[in-house]
Amino acid sequence: MSVRQALLALLEQGPMYGYQLRAEFERRTGSTWPLNVGQVYTTLTRLERDGLVAPVTGEPGADADGHVVYGVTDAGREEVAAWFTTPVERTQPPRDELAIKLALAVTVPGVDVGTVIQQQRSATMAALQDYTRLKRGRPSSPDDPADMAWSLVLDSLVFAAEAEVRWLDHCEARLRRAQLERPARDSAAQPPAAPGVEAQTDREGARR
Amino acid sequence: MIPLHAWRLPLRLARRDALRHRARSILVLVMIALPVLAVTAADVAIHTQRVSGAESVDRRIGTAEALVSVSDGVTDVKQKPDPDDCCPVTDGDGTTPAPTAEQVSSLLDGATLLEVRRGETELRTAKGQTPVEATEVDLSDALTDGLFDLTSGRWPAAPGEVVVNQSVLDLGYRVGGTLDLTAEGAPADPTIVGVAESTTNRTFPSVAGPPGALALDTTGTWEWLVDGGPVSWHTVRQLNAIGATVASRAVITDPPPRSQWPEEVQVETDDGSTLAILALIGVMALIEVVLLAGPAFAVSARRQQRSLALMAATGGTPRQSRRVIVASAIVLGGVAALVGVGLGIGASRVLQPLLQARSDTWFGPFEVPWLQLAGVAAFGLLSAFLAAIVPAYLASRQDVVAVLAGRRGDRPASLRSPLLGLVLLGAGIAGSAAGASQSSGGELAIAVSAIPAVLGMILLVPLVLAGLARVSGRLPLVLRYAVRDADRHRARTVPAVSAVAATVAGVVALGIGLSSDDAENQATYLPSVAPGVGIVSAYEPDVSWAALASVVQRELPHATVTEQRGLPDGDGYAEVFGPSGETLLQSSGGSLGANIMAADGDLPIGLLGVAARDVPRAEAMLAGGGMVAFVSPGTSVSGDTATVVQHSFDPESGEETGSHRVSVPAAFVTLTDPWAGPAALVSTAAARDLGVRPQVVSLAVTGHVSEQQEDDVNQALAAASSDTGLYVERGFRADDATVIAQLVLIALGAVLMLGGTLTATFLALSDARPDLATLSAVGASPRTRRGVAAAYAVVVGGVGAALGAAVGFIPGIAVTWPLTSTNGLDGGPPTGPFLDVPWLMVLGLVVVLPAVTAVVVGLFARSRLPLVARLD
Amino acid sequence: MTTAMTTAMTTAVLRLDSVTRVHGEGETAVQALRGVSFAAHSGELVAVMGPSGSGKSTLLTLAGGLDSPTAGTVSVEGTDLASLGAVGRARMRRTSIGYVFQDFNLIPALTAAENVALPRELDGESTRAARRLARAALEEVGIGDLADRFPDAMSGGQQQRVAIARAVVGERRLILADEPTGALDTETGEEILRLLRSRCDAGAAGVLVTHEARHAAWADRVVFLRDGVVVDETGTDQVDSLIDAGATR
Repeated sequence: MSVRQALLALLEQGPMYGYQLRAEFERRTGSTWPLNVGQVYTTLTRLERDGLVAPVTGEPGADADGHVVYGVTDAGREEVAAWFTTPVERTQPPRDELAIKLALAVTVPGVDVGTVIQQQRSATMAALQDYTRLKRGRPSSPDDPADMAWSLVLDSLVFAAEAEVRWLDHCEARLRRAQLERPARDSAAQPPAAPGVEAQTDREGARR
Repeated sequence: MIPLHAWRLPLRLARRDALRHRARSILVLVMIALPVLAVTAADVAIHTQRVSGAESVDRRIGTAEALVSVSDGVTDVKQKPDPDDCCPVTDGDGTTPAPTAEQVSSLLDGATLLEVRRGETELRTAKGQTPVEATEVDLSDALTDGLFDLTSGRWPAAPGEVVVNQSVLDLGYRVGGTLDLTAEGAPADPTIVGVAESTTNRTFPSVAGPPGALALDTTGTWEWLVDGGPVSWHTVRQLNAIGATVASRAVITDPPPRSQWPEEVQVETDDGSTLAILALIGVMALIEVVLLAGPAFAVSARRQQRSLALMAATGGTPRQSRRVIVASAIVLGGVAALVGVGLGIGASRVLQPLLQARSDTWFGPFEVPWLQLAGVAAFGLLSAFLAAIVPAYLASRQDVVAVLAGRRGDRPASLRSPLLGLVLLGAGIAGSAAGASQSSGGELAIAVSAIPAVLGMILLVPLVLAGLARVSGRLPLVLRYAVRDADRHRARTVPAVSAVAATVAGVVALGIGLSSDDAENQATYLPSVAPGVGIVSAYEPDVSWAALASVVQRELPHATVTEQRGLPDGDGYAEVFGPSGETLLQSSGGSLGANIMAADGDLPIGLLGVAARDVPRAEAMLAGGGMVAFVSPGTSVSGDTATVVQHSFDPESGEETGSHRVSVPAAFVTLTDPWAGPAALVSTAAARDLGVRPQVVSLAVTGHVSEQQEDDVNQALAAASSDTGLYVERGFRADDATVIAQLVLIALGAVLMLGGTLTATFLALSDARPDLATLSAVGASPRTRRGVAAAYAVVVGGVGAALGAAVGFIPGIAVTWPLTSTNGLDGGPPTGPFLDVPWLMVLGLVVVLPAVTAVVVGLFARSRLPLVARLD
Repeated sequence: MTTAMTTAMTTAVLRLDSVTRVHGEGETAVQALRGVSFAAHSGELVAVMGPSGSGKSTLLTLAGGLDSPTAGTVSVEGTDLASLGAVGRARMRRTSIGYVFQDFNLIPALTAAENVALPRELDGESTRAARRLARAALEEVGIGDLADRFPDAMSGGQQQRVAIARAVVGERRLILADEPTGALDTETGEEILRLLRSRCDAGAAGVLVTHEARHAAWADRVVFLRDGVVVDETGTDQVDSLIDAGATR
């Protein structure tokens, strides 16, 4: 997971202690991925172990409240640079619960796949509307880089949700066609039923 | 809603659209402006060339106030304000002497009168003699200023001095030389002292000098130029009352109202048919212009269909859509009309010297008839308006949803318009048939009914296109594409095809009429004498035939000149009747020199219509002192004596002095053809019984005589005696005018066809650009565009020409009835109608011209396919 | 529920009631819409989503009175469009309904201001007054400085802004947008949607036809159309079985 790299990237901009790091992360990503502070400290410990960060020594090691302030090391700087220049790998598709659910729904008898799809689509659509509503409250071209960062993260969620809706649409269309073709195939002796054709003719003219 | 306000938006859209699509706008401008320009130029030229009464006052009366003419025997005149305007009505006993100068002057408050004598005299020329216009007046008097323009030399100052015009110099005379007048008693050798052009006529020879210089014989008539104060209409009427005709400056320039004119001259002579013909030509021209400009508006409407659909979506009503298209017609038509009128006036001004050089009379001042030009401009505007009406109507009815969804193509053709087309076509045919069966005036009815026929044809064009598109499946790609595209975009194809069709219909109809007329002339041609024979005849009784014969013999040394005798017509005439007093001939004539020819034995040379088997019988009868009486073709008379009645006249009074009836042994010969030849041949003995002595009445010239020789002989004869001439029978010869008219027709048809086809093709190509881009995208070669262009021209030109030819046959054939049938010529049976279809011309129009157009289009189309995206 | 429905019916700016639209006749007949009921209220943006051929564009042309339903009624601001006649519907489009299309939205021969003034001028308003309104509308959509430009000289996003200005000019309360972002990149498209949204927030009723969920998400409600039938609507629990709907045809 990239929390490690994300924290490293934040530290590159200046030394921070754990709480500060968490607050900054959430500000930049719009609280989309909540971090608990324990996760932050665990990660910082690992980073220190790997020699990528070190407690800042120029200062008294800890501020007045006794927080340990971390700074990035040269190795850490290299790691951050490498992270930014390497594309996110997609070799291992993330485990997707929805895909698994649909795959099972199609194969397990007695489940109404259509309903599954529709319910999911409504839910995703509602989420999409929520994201959009979040966007609506903000100016479309923010000047603050941090605002921009948040906005981009929001867009990523919007596009992901949209992709999911489109994928659901696609599943629905394929399932529907399969369902329409099945009776026709099963009863080949009957005069060719029209539904498939009908679906084809029901087009909206030549709009490109 | 204020109407003007409602038009503001459409007009703004139209103006911007015209500017955005310059090429198409210019096309429409040219289509409409050209006819306007031509008509304007012609109208201005005609008005300039026509010299109105007021304009010509100076030419006619110089600086005088009036010109008074009197003649013996006239005691009362009813004239229009301008007596030259036509037909003063005179009254008189024929004996009362004309009013004297004193009488005239007294009615003019004692104004000074200057006598003018005008007439014609003859000048000797190198080849013989020629008539010249002659004027005798004191040219030094200021009253004559304006009658002549001195161009070189000086005015005559002494008796015996004259001025001549350039045309006289062209005859071989020169300034300083003497004038050789041929009239008897002419003063010898008047001296030419200057060159003065007549202000009226330009090319006819003209001479002028002081009274007596030319020995003009104006016996019984006098003319005076009047000095003094203006001559009022009242004074004119007073002078009329004593028998004088007056051209008064004051009256001509400011004519009295019609109500003050004498009743006798108030009659209108126009019968309205001229107006009908003009209206007909106007309607035809309007249809043609509308059809030519139609495709441009159709394409313009298509280009705007997206805008119009958007307008509809934002709440525009169909009427507002219509207005947008109509507004573009108003903008373009208005500009075209103004430009056409403006350029027309300019063209006329520029061409004026050129036209003047080809005219025999001097033009009036440059004149622009604004009112008529306003009408011409209105015609241009109207044609644009009419051309836009159908596209506008279609645009207002378009399917907004389909257009917004990006679908193209016209709505399917309705069945109603072709039905209406059939009805109109039927009406046109019926009208033509009615016109053909009418005894007189059928031509106009046929021409008028050509209009519904053409309109009906236009309505049938979509049907034809649809039919073609249906059977086009096996055609090569480019042709198939062109046919289908033409069918899909009827709004622009139909007017283009119709324009071509209307042109071809007109040309075919006129062509059939012309060549049928020619066929009739050929079929009903009546030779005057036997082919190859020349006849010299004279209209003066006392002519020296021997002198004439020597003139002819001198010009034609290898020809044989034979004197022919006949009974002279001078102081009597003879009628010939059959044994029981019946009339023998429907008509006869003096083509051999006299109505009754004299011959003892051999028949006169040049005789026609006598069958070979009748010749011995006729010759025997003549040799035996009898006569030959001709009988109308198709009838026969049996018997052996004819009755001849000789009437004699007093040559002075014209009254019959007596008649003389004799019975003469006769051979009755039935003519094989109607002929304007003699009614009978008499032997000298038979003539003696009638109390008439046969005289020479003509010279027969046999042997080859060329046309050039004929002209030479005629000129030589004119020098010897005024009223003689040689006529050589050469059989039927096609009138040059017919051939020229056919060529002009074909040329005009070709230009209009080419114009219609070209505009439609290039508009179609620009309209089909997206499709062509698709073609190029799938790998069509650059030549394909040329191919498509040529195919389009073939479809438009070919379909139009074929339809037009078919429709043209209706009035064409119909018009041959009134044009070429007669109730019988010279007593012959009824002839005609004659029908001669100029197949070569039809073939040229229907096959050759479209093919040529296609080649031209193919050559000039840009072969590079446009690389534009499919935008609409 | 019943009370709420009645209130909704009376205040709806656009209401479709059991609307069916059949294109063509006989064997080639195509049912574009089948018994669709639908409403858009003041201040509300409703998205209509569906694939090509689902009937969503037909719904829009019916809502604007450019087309008439085979059965059912379409009312705008309480008036049944069928009762108006063609001229009345045209007047409705000038005074109550504004259209925004995917592209070729503007008349090329007219400037931006003239395009916006078009419905007012068509309605017989004086050129000057119409143009003043148009300039105000252009200011509102943020391109007051482009008022005298011709469409050719504007970017796609600017043209679409002009189209929206034209759709709202003259206090019109129903905006019908057919894929208004189709020809634009995502960012420009988003700005157009933002603008549309703000017009609705200002009190207009909007219907947005799109096939992209991302755009539909700007709406308060999303209606899913499949083969001329409303199969789903976010925020409601009225969910018919889609596959059944398809299979029972």
